[in-house]
Amino acid sequence: MPVLVPEPHDPICFRKDGKRLDGREVDEPRPFSCEVGVIKNAQGSAVVRHGGNLIYVAVYGPREVHPRHLAKPDRGILRVYYRMSTFSVHDRKSPAPNRRDNEISKVIREAIEPVLFLEAYPDSQIEVFIQIMAADGGTRCASTTAASLALADAGIPMRSMIVGIAAGKAQDKVILDLGDKEDKVGQADVPAVVVMKDKTISLLQFDGEMSIEEMKLGFKYILKGAEVIYQKQLEALKGKYEAIQMQAKKESEEYQKTLPKLPQEKPLPPSDTVVSKKTEEIKVNKDEKVQKPKKEPKKETKKGPKKPTKKDVKKETKKETKKKTEEKAQKANETIQNAPKKDSEKGGKTK
Amino acid sequence: MEIVESIETPSREIVTPGMVISTDPELIPGRGAVREKNNEIISLFVGLKEIRGKYINVVPLNGLYNPQLGDKIIGRVIAKTPVKFLLNINSKYLGILKPLDAFKRNTRNRGYGKSVGSYRVKDDDLMQKLKMGDLLICKVLSGDRLNEPELTSLGQDLGQIKDGIIIHVPPPKIPRIIGKKGSMITLLKNLLHCKIFVAQNGRILIQGGKNFKNERLLIDAIHKIEEEAHTSGLTDRIKNYIIKEKKKRGIE
Repeated sequence: MPVLVPEPHDPICFRKDGKRLDGREVDEPRPFSCEVGVIKNAQGSAVVRHGGNLIYVAVYGPREVHPRHLAKPDRGILRVYYRMSTFSVHDRKSPAPNRRDNEISKVIREAIEPVLFLEAYPDSQIEVFIQIMAADGGTRCASTTAASLALADAGIPMRSMIVGIAAGKAQDKVILDLGDKEDKVGQADVPAVVVMKDKTISLLQFDGEMSIEEMKLGFKYILKGAEVIYQKQLEALKGKYEAIQMQAKKESEEYQKTLPKLPQEKPLPPSDTVVSKKTEEIKVNKDEKVQKPKKEPKKETKKGPKKPTKKDVKKETKKETKKKTEEKAQKANETIQNAPKKDSEKGGKTK
Repeated sequence: MEIVESIETPSREIVTPGMVISTDPELIPGRGAVREKNNEIISLFVGLKEIRGKYINVVPLNGLYNPQLGDKIIGRVIAKTPVKFLLNINSKYLGILKPLDAFKRNTRNRGYGKSVGSYRVKDDDLMQKLKMGDLLICKVLSGDRLNEPELTSLGQDLGQIKDGIIIHVPPPKIPRIIGKKGSMITLLKNLLHCKIFVAQNGRILIQGGKNFKNERLLIDAIHKIEEEAHTSGLTDRIKNYIIKEKKKRGIE
């Protein structure tokens, strides 16, 4: 079995003409392209190609937290999963998350948190899944850029977009956006994440040796490179909708042409006459209203004699009983009046 | 009059998170916007900028559903406890449906022709009436950001769904499917003769009966509306699309 011995990296990072090995200037980022809405099942998604990196990001949430004890009653939590595919690097990477994966997940989470309104989602979580399909140096920066795109695509409120890009030093020269070889051979590496609204830094790591002046130059390069990538981000976010808008505009124009043309209206006379005419019309209308014949009274429909209901029967019986009682009373009165009066009642004097 | 109209209608300008949409100190940031330093009002979403009176809003193009009081929604039973059903309502919370809000209370006449009033059936019996995966049209009885919303399935148009197709669109695009004063939905109903129920949580119930072709075309039309929700002149284009497709597919 052949023994695989890693070849020592050639320390040279610059060509004879002063450019970098891939033909870039010192302050030039690698070619960058991105797209949003690539994963249908996810709420928001993005794919980023940054140099040799190919990164997919999917965002889910806000949704319930499992396990429940991780939920916080006053704010939501952000969970980031950074995973490298087994085939993304030269040697096979074990699929189990290792120390490096967990660490990068943590730094990306802390870079994204300041731009989200997590306090608006108590008791819930937002999940960001980052899958590295091909790695070529600077994956944590490219992942942050992609995560920002996916979060915006998912409709989660954000203060600003964020862009990750690294500066560094190789062969005593400050360079922007290190590739895989420059990362390994170089003297220093400064990955940074820029909040684009106010050009602040939300992630800064440093590995190697650099003087303060070199650091300042590095930051200048970082801000310059971030602006280039930010414009590409905006294009990707807007382009998805603007292309549809343009096509829709064309369609509606075609539709308007197919409609039958209305007869052209005659130019209106000066405004005074218009007003007078209108008032006349209104007057005429009023007169018409007055002259309108009154509605004829509804003809009474002939109805047959109503059948006596139970209530009616009861009423009639009541009336009859009343009459009878009255008659009885009258008779009684008459009998009393006709009856021979007693002596005492006659008013005669008693003997 | 013309000037007022141009302000009232959305500008159709697409904005992105962090973009400064206005520096006017008199405007008030409404939905999807916040005021930062130097009177800068920034957008929080990818969406359309809109000025209404003194408010400046951003209408998002994607997002989740937030349950609000009185919304009619479609939910799916995904869990049961001894006293309540839990429904997936396409929100970050599960909806709670208690059995007495789900079924009508029985009234029973007990002899002598006199009614004795409402008769409560035991909760155990009612819990057997719905199965996992059953779909219901519900109304939100209580909704806030902190608690799970309570639902009811008693009322007009509410109850269990027995047949039909349910399709899903992003909840922020639901107003476009209904249209101004219901113009879009009446257009769809008149042209395709299907029953449509648009729920606020992004689920749409379609019942076409035996008009399978109409049903198919309606689904395509709704997906077209979803895709072009941020464009203007949509109703005219959809009308044109349906008439064209009807000829193509041989629908009378």
